[in-house]
Amino acid sequence: MCDHTNKNIYLPYLATVEEVIDETPDVRTLRLVFQDEQVRENFTFRAGQFGEYSAFGAGESTFCIASSPTRTGHIECCFRSVGRVTEELRRLEVGDTMGVRGPYGNSFPIEEFFGKNLVFVAGGIALPPLRTLIWNCLDWRDKFGDITIVYGARTESDLVYKRELKEWQERADVRLVKTVDPGGNGPEWDGKVGFVPTILEEAAPSADNTIALVCGPPIMIKFTLPVLEKLGFTDEQVYTTLENRMKCGLGKCGRCNVGNVYVCKDGPVFTAKQVKAMPMEF
Amino acid sequence: MQKFISEQNLHTLLDKLIAEGTRVVAPRMNAGTPLYEPLKSASEMVADQLPRRSGKEAFFPLCEDIMTYEKEGQKVTLKDIDPARFPETVLVGVRPCDAAAIPVLDAVFSWDYKDEFFLERRKKTTIVGLACTSADDACFCTAVGLSPSETRGSDLFLTPLEDGGYACESYSEKGEALIKGHLELFAEPGNSRAVSLAQPQTEKFDLKKVKAWLDEHFEDSSWDSIATRCVGCGACAFVCPVCHCFDIVDEGTEKSGKRRKNWDACGFWKFTHHASGHNPRDQQPKRYRNRIMHKFKYYEDKFGQTLCTGCGRCIRLCPVGIDIAQIVEEISKK
Repeated sequence: MCDHTNKNIYLPYLATVEEVIDETPDVRTLRLVFQDEQVRENFTFRAGQFGEYSAFGAGESTFCIASSPTRTGHIECCFRSVGRVTEELRRLEVGDTMGVRGPYGNSFPIEEFFGKNLVFVAGGIALPPLRTLIWNCLDWRDKFGDITIVYGARTESDLVYKRELKEWQERADVRLVKTVDPGGNGPEWDGKVGFVPTILEEAAPSADNTIALVCGPPIMIKFTLPVLEKLGFTDEQVYTTLENRMKCGLGKCGRCNVGNVYVCKDGPVFTAKQVKAMPMEF
Repeated sequence: MQKFISEQNLHTLLDKLIAEGTRVVAPRMNAGTPLYEPLKSASEMVADQLPRRSGKEAFFPLCEDIMTYEKEGQKVTLKDIDPARFPETVLVGVRPCDAAAIPVLDAVFSWDYKDEFFLERRKKTTIVGLACTSADDACFCTAVGLSPSETRGSDLFLTPLEDGGYACESYSEKGEALIKGHLELFAEPGNSRAVSLAQPQTEKFDLKKVKAWLDEHFEDSSWDSIATRCVGCGACAFVCPVCHCFDIVDEGTEKSGKRRKNWDACGFWKFTHHASGHNPRDQQPKRYRNRIMHKFKYYEDKFGQTLCTGCGRCIRLCPVGIDIAQIVEEISKK
């Protein structure tokens, strides 16, 4: 999709905010519907791809497309308000207009996961880039083996998609292991207490015929990869999605590179093997 | 196609083009500084000075609108760029180091997604290169495999002759068309010899060896000694003929404004700064390392070209005296 031949590649589509959902006190989901009928009908993407979202007057920010490609008619983005653009996006209300460019980058090779067990490991605000794939897989549930989701955040309040965590928890065909960092649990907390890598090790999913999909802050990734290794996962069995500051998303503006790898074009999805071959610059 | 054109006829040609509505861009003085800028008259051209900034801005301006927006209530209207933005242009008096930079930039602006801002201008522009007759201590085109008579990137190339005027050779259809459209101003090539050209004092770097070292030494203690003094001013990137990093920003009000593409530089700390506060290149030597890596390794890996034409501008302008030619030469000897 996104046939930009001989067109202004920087020109965004216009989208209407259809729904605003507060995930945490500072993390918000916007559900968007493209205003142009043709774009609405023809826009397709794959789980793992990202977009450039704009608040006109403030600029553009890069986030993954957080909804599943199987849920058509709209897309969702999820962001924490930390800067000029995200503060402005946060001011948008239902019915307001924003800009979207995309979909950009590579995607999870979901077809290669058919017939395999999946272990999703996410921390904090890094669930959205995996949530697109989680729903994609749940909507095609019979194509996969066991599905395990290990998700943690600093505190209960920092967990995003709380309503969906509940849904996953109640499903018989998903194993959800949710956790909060020590001290982050309230009196009602019914999950684990501990850091994601520790809880993952406890949960001990089998590496046999399994793909692990990991996304989280650099520190979580750093401690999660050795745990997966211990559980028997090879670097080819582990996928992650990288985030770097981006502007164009098109392989031009020159800032998202890790060594000679352009995260916007060669990524954002990489295997642990690919990540380990990169210089430590992310 | 080889021809001769006198100095006077070259001026006549440029004035004629200007009168016909062609944008003629050439080195001219602006408040005491030579810059590639549109000429009002051929007499403004200063052929003997290296412009402060490179010729890339004829294709990739410092700041450029990429669209405008207007808001009315919940509605937003976007306006795409006007194709009239890209007039027929003749870029004249271009130094070989600047002309050779343009095909290097073609690679990044045309791979995968096409950047029409660059490519439309490229289509509409004829580049008239001029052999270089003066080099200073900072020049090192010969070190990166180019030369004062390098014709790469030029559609038409002028070489000043001892008896006055220029030997003129076309290297593309566009160059040939420029001659053919004004044939009366050109004569058959004569016997006059070329004036003596510039002779940069650098030896050719072994760029393969440089790359081989860079391939293996992302982590190396020498990066600190190379670039701790870098103040991150970005001057090197802004004067560079092949640096092409840019930012995309909105400028305007709640009601209306524009989105622009502005030059940016990997030397700036904010260039890679994440929203979370994390910065993969959190120290100046890491940012300078990226500059060297991009020029002599990454661009080579990706596009098979060196991202440096040896113009020496970054050496002349660096406020703390960082000399990229010296750095690369040292790397080539490691």
